[in-house]
Amino acid sequence: MTEQTSYFFWDLGQYLLNGIAQGSIYALVALGYTMVYGIIRLINFAHGEFYMVGAFVGLFLIQAHLPFLIALPLAMLGSGLLAVMVERLVYRPIRKAGKIQALITALGVSLLLQYLGQNLLGADPRPFPDALENKTYMFGELMISKIQIIIILTTVILMGALRYLVMHTKIGKAMRATSYNLEAAELMGIDTNKVISFTFFVGAALAGAAGVLVGMYYNTVEPMMGLIPGLKAFVAAVLGGIGVIPGAVLGGLVLGVAENLVIGFWVSTYRDAIAFAILIIILLIRPAGLLGRNTREKV
Amino acid sequence: MDLVSYFGPLLQNAGVFIILALGLNLINGIAGQFSLGHAGFWAVGAYVGASYGAFFAPAFLPDFVNLLISNVLGIIAASIAGVLVGVPCLRLRGDYLAIATLGFGEIIRIIINNLDVVGGPRGFTNIPHWSNLFWIYLWVVLCIIMLANLLRGTHGRAIISIREDEIAAAAMGINTTKYKTLAFVIGAGMAGLAGSLFAHAQQFIHPSSFSFMWSVIILLMIILGGMGSMTGAIVGAVFLTFLPEFLRLCGETVSEWRMVIYSLLLILLMLLRPQGIFGKHEFNLKRLWPSKGGAK
Amino acid sequence: MSVILKADALTMRFGGLLAVDKFCMEVAPTDLLGIIGPNGAGKTTVFNMLTGMYLPTEGRVSLLSEDVTDLYPYQITQRGLSRTFQNIRLFKDLTVLDNIRLAGHFRLRYGLLRSILRTKSFHAEEDQLISEARELLKIFGLEKKETLLARNLPYGEQRRLEIARALAIHPKVLLLDEPAAGMNPNETKELTALIRWVRDHFKIAIVLIEHDMALVMNVCERIYVLDHGVEIAQGTPAQIQSNPAVIEAYLGAST
Repeated sequence: MTEQTSYFFWDLGQYLLNGIAQGSIYALVALGYTMVYGIIRLINFAHGEFYMVGAFVGLFLIQAHLPFLIALPLAMLGSGLLAVMVERLVYRPIRKAGKIQALITALGVSLLLQYLGQNLLGADPRPFPDALENKTYMFGELMISKIQIIIILTTVILMGALRYLVMHTKIGKAMRATSYNLEAAELMGIDTNKVISFTFFVGAALAGAAGVLVGMYYNTVEPMMGLIPGLKAFVAAVLGGIGVIPGAVLGGLVLGVAENLVIGFWVSTYRDAIAFAILIIILLIRPAGLLGRNTREKV
Repeated sequence: MDLVSYFGPLLQNAGVFIILALGLNLINGIAGQFSLGHAGFWAVGAYVGASYGAFFAPAFLPDFVNLLISNVLGIIAASIAGVLVGVPCLRLRGDYLAIATLGFGEIIRIIINNLDVVGGPRGFTNIPHWSNLFWIYLWVVLCIIMLANLLRGTHGRAIISIREDEIAAAAMGINTTKYKTLAFVIGAGMAGLAGSLFAHAQQFIHPSSFSFMWSVIILLMIILGGMGSMTGAIVGAVFLTFLPEFLRLCGETVSEWRMVIYSLLLILLMLLRPQGIFGKHEFNLKRLWPSKGGAK
Repeated sequence: MSVILKADALTMRFGGLLAVDKFCMEVAPTDLLGIIGPNGAGKTTVFNMLTGMYLPTEGRVSLLSEDVTDLYPYQITQRGLSRTFQNIRLFKDLTVLDNIRLAGHFRLRYGLLRSILRTKSFHAEEDQLISEARELLKIFGLEKKETLLARNLPYGEQRRLEIARALAIHPKVLLLDEPAAGMNPNETKELTALIRWVRDHFKIAIVLIEHDMALVMNVCERIYVLDHGVEIAQGTPAQIQSNPAVIEAYLGAST
């Protein structure tokens, strides 16, 4: 192997690694989208804002010198509570109305949170303090930072916790039942309202965690930070198969890697376009996503 | 204060937004297809019109002829974009369609942002000033007449039936794909027209003027007026063009909270009065024209 | 007997569920047929396959000697097969007249441009369409209500409007999905007469799905009985009424 090829492989590895770190973040946010869609068939446009709120709560807590391991769960709690509030006040009444109405409402909530954030907190990006001194480690030519390790580790832990929650607890079973068939679940005596609120809570908590991690990774937060990553996480969820939990993880990782490959091997200004391009391709070729069930009807 | 120079541009903007709102109303309100990428077609028309004006327009032609050519080019370009976006997207179900059109709208904006020949992120300057109140509102009137005639003919009924009950429409022999696409392309073409008029009024355009947020604002216009109602689209467009000015008069702080107010308005409308002011129906036709042969 | 609509071993599987199993039916030009069976027997699924809304898992549909199995619903309708729906699918916010006019759409010749410019040929065709529509409304007793929105009609009139709309297609075969649902005995009697009259006047074939036995036995000349997706009997009303398998399906089944 020539030196050129060896550098190529090290570069590729680096982009893959960066992609996995970035992708983990997308995965965390995508999980929330997919869980909410799976249970009430709503694309919660405002989900990106739960991510943003988590980042800001994390920011304030860390500025108040709370350690990362305490700030993170509290930020998750903050996002989760906000989501429950939004669900109760706005989404629940709109559930009976049409899908489009619900979508427009979600859009409204998203904008409201973004612009409220902007007006209350100022539009300027704020620096995120170093909660953990960043170090970089080298494996051969591969550079991995402590933050990236924390991100991947946190993501793995949270996903493991989620899997345990969904597969091995009573509420998890209720969530699965409700997402298969809401009416049937209700007839079985499941309090679907509570289950839905809880789903929102968990989804938003994961997004909030992602927000904190992103704050640490890129060292800035701003009120509009949820918009683009929110859309991208949605793409990731669709890519993996919306409503399918492992799909969100797969989609997030694929998107993160794809983006970094674009940055590495093509033009970085098209980075954002990749997400939209993937979205369109998936919707046209395989709307059910990579892991979704493929239902094809003639009509 | 010179009223003309204050209200002039405002009225011109209102005219542009009326055309945009009418076009989106055709797609979302009348055909019932939820598109979130309308600003993308607006951008296509604006940039094509601006390019013609800045690069290709022969100097010997009178301004109004050049404007006409520019507008026609904008309409054609945006209509082609409408076909390219519509054909793949319109097969999708409601919420997926919304996201797909959003995606396309953003892709268009990103591509324009990366095209240095039209200024890219610096914007497109020195667009000839050919638009004026007369021409803008002439086009507004033409659009209204065109739409009114369309909707009272069989093609309009076909489009409406798709919104009312797509399955029944297909069962009654309507090629729903064709008519969804037709509505979509006409709507896109109108947005392109609005873009060209806009470019030649503002003389400077920038990709950020055609962001997703603007798609949402145009959507808010037709929701406020009533999705499916042409009167509603016009009223909504005028209202939301003048509202920022009114807010500005209320003071600096109120003006800053404009977007918060808009989003609250959107949420409250959906919760309390989703049909907006006029709902699906026209105000004038129902009241003033007791129909002889079944109007709307 | 010439056959204008033929179902050839139509089978519909939804995942693991076999909804319809090898259903066969032949319809002659002025037949008046019925499809009956307990709830969930697959009757509407048969209609959905015939009209192109479902792609049959197996089997073919032919209309006027053409294999239409793979065509879209609108194409099948344009070839002369029209239907009503179990839950009434009118265009609620269109007027009564417009609901009828809509069904005439695919027969109109004028294009978009003529419509927008309001040419003479546009007006000529529209006037023709309106007078045809009004005739149809008169037959169904709805002529005074032509400017009402469909959603404002009483239930029985909505059902009649839906049948009228289906006839405005000028079909060769009309499928009626539970036309008597929600009607009282008087209305059902009127409907029975109406269905027979429509067949005689328009010279079309009619196939109906119904639960109202009085209607079916009085109006249909031949009846197919489905149970759990399978045809268990076929014959005249008299034959069906005395068929033990049919009786068991209705009384023995948990409806």
